[in-house]
Amino acid sequence: MRDPNNQLHVIKNLKIAVSNIITQPPQPGAIRKLLNDVVSSSQPAEGLVANVITAGDYDLNISGTTPWFESYRETFLQSMPASDHEFLNHYLACMLVASSSEAEPVEQFSKLSQEQHRIQHNSDYSYPKWFIPNTLKYYVLLHDVSAGDEQRAELIYEEMKHKYGTQGCYLLKINSRTSNRASDEQIPDPWSQYLQKNSIQNQESYEDGPCTIISNKNSDSNLLSLDGLDNEVKVDGLPNNFRAHPLQLDQSSDPSNSIDAPDHVKSVSSLHETKKASTGIIHGACLTLTDHDRIRQFIQEFTFRGLLPHIEKTIRQLNDQLISRKGLSRSLFSATKKWFSGSKVPEKSINELKNTSGLLYPPEAPELQIRKMADLCFLVQHYDLAYSCYHTAKKDFLNDQAMLYAAGALEMAAVSAFLQPGAPRPYPAHYMDTAIQTYRDICKNMVLAERCVLLSAEILKSQSKYSEAAALLIRLTSEDSDLRSALLLEQAAHCFINMKSPMVRKYAFHMILAGHRFSKAGQKKHALRCYCQAMQVYKGKGWSLAEDHINFTIGRQSYTLRQLDNAVSAFRHILINESKQSAAQQGAFLREYLYVYKNVSQLSPDGPLPQLPLPYINSSATRVFFGHDRRPADGEKQAATHVSLDQEYDSESSQQWRELEEQVVAVVNKGIIPSNFHPTQYCLNSYSDNSRFPLAVVEEPITVEVAFRNPLKVPLLLTDLSLLWKFQPNDFSGKDNEEVKERITGEPEMIGTEVISEFLINSEESKVARLKLFPHHIGELHILGVVYNLGTIQGSMTVDGIGALPGCHTGKYSLSMSVRGRQDLEIQGPRLNNTKEEKTSIKYGPDRRLDPIITEEMPLLEVFFIHFPTGLLCGEIRKAYVEFVNVSKCPLTGLKVVSKRPEFFTFGGNTAVLTPLSPSASENCSAYKTVVTDSTSVCTALISSASSIDFGIGIGSQPEVIPVPLPDTVLLPGASVQLPMWLRGPDEEGVHEINFLFYYESIKKQPKIRHRILRHTAVICTSRSLNVRATVCRSNSLEDEEGRGGNMLVFVDMENTNTSEAGVKEFHIVQVSSSSKHWKLHKSVNLSENKDAKLASREKGKFCFKAIRCKEKEAATQSEKYTFADIIFGNEQIISSASPCADFFYRSLSSELKKPPPQLSVHTEKQSVEDAVRLIQKCSEVDLNIVILWKAYVVEDSKQLILEGQHHVILHTVGKEAFSYPQKQEPPEMELLKFFRPESTTVSLRPSVEQLSNLIKTSLHYPESFNHPFHQKSLCVVPVTLLLSNCSKADVDVIVDLRHKTTSPEALEIHGSFTWLGQTQYKLQLKSQEIHSLQLKACFVHTGVYNLGTPRIFAKLSDQVTVFETSQQNSMPALIIINNV
Amino acid sequence: MAVCIAVIAKENYPLYIRSTPTENELKFHYMVHTSLDVVDEKISAMGKALVDQRELYLGLLYPTEDYKVYGYVTNSKVKFVMVVDSSNTALRDNEIRSVSAGDWRTTPGWWMFRKLHNSYTDVMCNPFYNPGDRIQSRAFDNMVMSMMIQVC
Repeated sequence: MRDPNNQLHVIKNLKIAVSNIITQPPQPGAIRKLLNDVVSSSQPAEGLVANVITAGDYDLNISGTTPWFESYRETFLQSMPASDHEFLNHYLACMLVASSSEAEPVEQFSKLSQEQHRIQHNSDYSYPKWFIPNTLKYYVLLHDVSAGDEQRAELIYEEMKHKYGTQGCYLLKINSRTSNRASDEQIPDPWSQYLQKNSIQNQESYEDGPCTIISNKNSDSNLLSLDGLDNEVKVDGLPNNFRAHPLQLDQSSDPSNSIDAPDHVKSVSSLHETKKASTGIIHGACLTLTDHDRIRQFIQEFTFRGLLPHIEKTIRQLNDQLISRKGLSRSLFSATKKWFSGSKVPEKSINELKNTSGLLYPPEAPELQIRKMADLCFLVQHYDLAYSCYHTAKKDFLNDQAMLYAAGALEMAAVSAFLQPGAPRPYPAHYMDTAIQTYRDICKNMVLAERCVLLSAEILKSQSKYSEAAALLIRLTSEDSDLRSALLLEQAAHCFINMKSPMVRKYAFHMILAGHRFSKAGQKKHALRCYCQAMQVYKGKGWSLAEDHINFTIGRQSYTLRQLDNAVSAFRHILINESKQSAAQQGAFLREYLYVYKNVSQLSPDGPLPQLPLPYINSSATRVFFGHDRRPADGEKQAATHVSLDQEYDSESSQQWRELEEQVVAVVNKGIIPSNFHPTQYCLNSYSDNSRFPLAVVEEPITVEVAFRNPLKVPLLLTDLSLLWKFQPNDFSGKDNEEVKERITGEPEMIGTEVISEFLINSEESKVARLKLFPHHIGELHILGVVYNLGTIQGSMTVDGIGALPGCHTGKYSLSMSVRGRQDLEIQGPRLNNTKEEKTSIKYGPDRRLDPIITEEMPLLEVFFIHFPTGLLCGEIRKAYVEFVNVSKCPLTGLKVVSKRPEFFTFGGNTAVLTPLSPSASENCSAYKTVVTDSTSVCTALISSASSIDFGIGIGSQPEVIPVPLPDTVLLPGASVQLPMWLRGPDEEGVHEINFLFYYESIKKQPKIRHRILRHTAVICTSRSLNVRATVCRSNSLEDEEGRGGNMLVFVDMENTNTSEAGVKEFHIVQVSSSSKHWKLHKSVNLSENKDAKLASREKGKFCFKAIRCKEKEAATQSEKYTFADIIFGNEQIISSASPCADFFYRSLSSELKKPPPQLSVHTEKQSVEDAVRLIQKCSEVDLNIVILWKAYVVEDSKQLILEGQHHVILHTVGKEAFSYPQKQEPPEMELLKFFRPESTTVSLRPSVEQLSNLIKTSLHYPESFNHPFHQKSLCVVPVTLLLSNCSKADVDVIVDLRHKTTSPEALEIHGSFTWLGQTQYKLQLKSQEIHSLQLKACFVHTGVYNLGTPRIFAKLSDQVTVFETSQQNSMPALIIINNV
Repeated sequence: MAVCIAVIAKENYPLYIRSTPTENELKFHYMVHTSLDVVDEKISAMGKALVDQRELYLGLLYPTEDYKVYGYVTNSKVKFVMVVDSSNTALRDNEIRSVSAGDWRTTPGWWMFRKLHNSYTDVMCNPFYNPGDRIQSRAFDNMVMSMMIQVC
């Protein structure tokens, strides 16, 4: 086309918009709905590849395109009502269409023309706004080839040409094809691409304005939006949204005045209008390709022949007008290109304008002419000219204070400045700002402001001025339209992220705002998308409050969109994270979560149970216990403590138990622990060895303790809590063993499951739940997890208040909501660290504590203790009863007890007559077996003997393992046996924990479980009683009835160390017994008047006894037989060789023997010396054991009680003190660490002097006083017998030297007074145990007192080369009195 | 006067955040979080060489309708953000005057942040504090509370 200066100007990509002449502008409400639909229908594509933007430490997935926004903008601009202050949406031309089949087409044309004129100039029709008064009219004769007569059409066309000129009319032939063949055609619907976009819109207008059919029945809007003619060239440099936006030329369609409807239906326009979207498939079905070409040609013809010349002419006219009016003619000519926009205008906006703009121009005002011209230039892409016109118009409007007009002009000036090719002038951003401000603030026209902002933002974005664009966009967000605000905010967010230094956080924040607005606008999907985008920024950065909020919103939105899985995971996220939310907030979250979850589960009721996130389960703290719960103490009956879940794990004690079990197993298997032995584990926890499948016994419950933790500040209520398991029965009754039973169906005949109906976990509480299973079949059980209803408590009930008692609340929690779900228990095994491979990689072993194997029936023992004391005096003997009950259906046998402290208790020896007295009957009896004796036989000992084997102390057997003397060695099912049991308080004061391990077996041999055990821990508190010290020494007296061997004197010191706080009044020593293989107590030589041997508090008593050697033959024949000799102080003899006295004695003895004997280092070359030393040592050894039996009178609760007890003193060596209790050892001094081996010392080889001196016992026999008449005979000769007795078992050479020592001056003086007569030196050899007497003579010359103990005796083992010639036993002074008669 | 005070770690996660109207905590969290963009921008705007000698106080980060957000960045890139009610004019007036005079030190904002920084240093000096953990010091808490209440 040519511009006013006759310069050629190429228009590219011109679009023409055609619409019905009588269309009503859509109502605002309708527009809003339309926009909403457009946005919601445009969703991000599923497989859209998102851009990854890395900003700082954020990696964000952001989809660059926002198609919903673009379609929104497009629709928005299209639905923009035309307004008075501008001409952009006004109609330029009018097409008048008549069908050739009509009777009088030419007439029809003139009628239509009049109609159009009427519509344009009548004030009744305010809506379709016309650009200029004389609108271009274009006459189109529509000819239906299939139906009409072609000749006639040609004729009419000729007539038309004649009447309106060739420029103004056109004959359009369509429907070359018959409609019935249409179905076979494969020609694509030519209208589809235009229709889909606009059909909704058309529908709107159609429904809103049914009155459009007033004038013509067939007044259908003929919306032909053809994308121009040579429209391939698109303008670069524009943002894509502009490109996508169809700036359409408004075209008034002519009402094709067809008379009969059937004809009209076949016409193009009517076809697609009447049938609407519902019949969209058949659009254009009757058109052939030639028809398409014809239509295209028609539009082309119309544009070139009619429209463009018309525009050209109009521009020129306007230009002339302006020049004439203003006299200022600028260079208004240049070439432009581009397209323009069109839409419809509602009249409402005009009414608004009247109030706001203050000034209204009449439609023909000269100022508006400039604007009109500018718009025209703009439309035909003559931006240069347009700009200058807009600029001029703007000045005029501003002068007139016509703000609305001015704003419009500013806006368009800015746009055209931007669109100018080559950008001769900078983009006037302030124009836009002013325009927006004016629109919004002065004119209060948000629609225009929005248009302006959209345009401006796009322009700014295309210039990379993102922050300005964002500011603009944000500024326009307002309360009145959520959708718009949301879209704008989202765009702003995108602006932030697209900035040179991306503002990630602002992006996120605005995304959230946008999401919020979207959700308010009902655009759920968009809202969700926005939140998800924002989530990327907030996730995992510690902004927990914000994160929770987003998650919560995401959850809600997903829920409303029925994306339940997402909702659940979002909510789950909130609850799992350590939340800093307030309790109320958490409660809300939880409720919402539960609600959503409930819906999820309702949707798929048959699906697998969902995994619940709450409460937390500390899987590794899970403990599994096999067996029944412990029975509570029942009166005097006290059940064995065994193992229970209440006990804390203690590695030390478990090691002890393990050792005990190993001991007993070793004894059972004759000293060898079988290689496949594993300690029995009843309670599995994270410390126990869980690498093997644990064994459980059928019909015995399995308790699983699950540690829950509630991380929330609101209490959680779990209901119907039970275990979830899988059971695989062993090929039982011919069943296929692959059959796997799931818990869901519940097979109570296989495995019974205990259900905890309510389990409340308070806020932030850790709590354990114990869940039981009852296996009824053998097989493999796998405990998978727990299943429960998760719920919360209605309201803010204070659970920790008065109503904290769970019993009070049972059933009263009004469950607001609860969800059934499960949580799996998965326990990771310990990290493997054995092989190199395991060390270098991280591998974990299996943990099988939840996969027990159910085995066949085993016996089950229960043990009860009756009258079991908790406090004892040291050494006190108490009788208690033990009841063994077999509660299973299998008989049990091989019952044994093992304990580290066998000296603590006894079941009585074999020799003891078992008196199955009932515990109550024996209450007041003494624990001992007594015999009433004569009081006359006080001082002499009563002798009995017993073998240690009878008391279970065999040689080589483990003393810790004690078989329980069951009557038939078998305990039948349901049977119970009561056995007496004596307890002796340990010798040390304090609290003692004594572990018993009961071992038993089934009669049937089981391959998997060989034995079972039962544990008991007794706690005994002992208090001090007596402290006994004893020494033994050789007696020098030779008045030895039996004649041979030696006599011993035993001194026993007893002290009452009781501090009498327990009301112990006094101790009575009732009996002292000896027990030895070789010695026995003979009689008490202590002739004190204290016959009862009472010891009050802190009192000390000393006893002296004479001990003699047992008869040789006894000792020889029964080496293992101990001789018991009792010395009684009361009138009752306690048979010390019977139970329980002897039992305890042997036990204490064996525990004594357990101590390592003094180790003699053995050197082979010195073997002989060794022997010698041993022999020498032996003769100073005694193995005399003293048992002191006592009674204590105790006042307790004003009742006098008599307690009995015994102490043992084991005497080994002559002259050495022995104690009844182990002496407290001095803490060993810190030894210096030696870095070199000390030279091996041979010192130990030499027996000590003291030991050597005990080889030979000597005694002098002489009269104590000797009367001699010195006046008759000056020399007094006294016969003295020196008895030498060999204490050792070897031959000893003895040298007796009678010569006085000359060295001592004192000796000279005294010894000089008497002399030994006769042989002064004797050499003797004494056989083992031999007694030799030497007859000596002493010669005195004066009266006086003399010490005869001068002979020196040297001894050596006769077969030894080495001489240990040591002077023997520095004899005591042997005084003799010589009297003169 | 301050309604929200936050300490943000170098990695942009909150070490401490406290606001007085507790019911609106979320809003302040968002606000503080968003302000980090501005902080980043301001820091990156300065040349690398200048970073060491720069003034730690960043001044007003951005105003919103009801609040003004001020920022402060330590040399170790720990950020302090303070949200102040816009109606509180005391800070603003002084601010404008002093900043235009180029003397940051006379602004109350500077002094407040200085105090905050000192208190934060004290927290850091605590051998039991594990750097990077949330600040739970009572002394710091009290100081922050005093800054929120005090009218200056």
